Amino acid sequence: MKKTFINFFVLLLITAVHTDCFGQKLITKTGSIKFQASMPSYEEVAAENKSVSAVLEQSTGDFAALVLIKGFRFKVALMEEHFNENYMESEKFSKATFKGKIEDFNVSEITNTAKNFTLKGDLTVHGKTKAVSVIVKVSKTASGVNAVGSFEVKPEDFDIEIPSVVSKKIADKIKIAYNFTLSK
Amino acid sequence: MKQKKTAIAIAVLLIAVSGGIYFYYGFLFKEARNIETETPDVSLTAAQLIEVYNSDPEKANSLYLNKTIELRGQVTKEADSVITLDKSVFCLFTKKIKKQLLNKNAVLKGKCIGYDELFQEIKLDQCTIIK
Repeated sequence: MKKTFINFFVLLLITAVHTDCFGQKLITKTGSIKFQASMPSYEEVAAENKSVSAVLEQSTGDFAALVLIKGFRFKVALMEEHFNENYMESEKFSKATFKGKIEDFNVSEITNTAKNFTLKGDLTVHGKTKAVSVIVKVSKTASGVNAVGSFEVKPEDFDIEIPSVVSKKIADKIKIAYNFTLSK
Repeated sequence: MKQKKTAIAIAVLLIAVSGGIYFYYGFLFKEARNIETETPDVSLTAAQLIEVYNSDPEKANSLYLNKTIELRGQVTKEADSVITLDKSVFCLFTKKIKKQLLNKNAVLKGKCIGYDELFQEIKLDQCTIIK
């Protein structure tokens, strides 16, 4: 009788320790995403969003991010309007998401100097999903990790049509830079 | 007669130029929205906003998305430039928050940018404290 009790207690202790070790999610709600689609000698086509959400599961490297399209800020009002209404249709598709995994992720290998990892997963923009593989630089911070990187996407991959009238002013490949400071 | 013609020509030219300038700066290159100076479209409590988003996110988006809203609620979390109202409304400020508002009631203004499914929160940006 006493033994079962001790066994039960040990089991409880083990589960408690386990959940403590594995349930370590690093999060941010104020990550930033900047995109740049400018063409030389035309006006700047760029915007920034500073309220990107992201979650990183430390033990497995699983990573998810969500950005609300309405949160992208441009310098010029008309550009923001066109971005929302004509291209991203943000009333219908209010967010862009990413779900994937940082390959061979190991927290213990992360130091103050940034280390390159491969982040693979599905990127959903404008209601369309595409598999992407990008390089992410991960470094250690006081309370978690910092993940930065940039990659390029093509509007047509996400069914975003750029009318020929403005196609000269918008780059074929849009550069997206992200910066997430993840902490517990 | 000639004088009249030149006068008309000058007047037309002036109108065209001022119209052009207006079109250029007032429309083409008008600065992006500044929520701080906008008057709120709607005023409600954080609890009401959460309820609408929980019951029908589509409808909530059609009602509040991209609108400037005035929100009342209890501050449940406060960071550098972020205030969380009633645990589920995330409000991002453009400047650092100087007031200590934790656990107090606050009134703020911001632009609703949508619902974040990762954290199950409603997000507002460009917020400013009203009270």
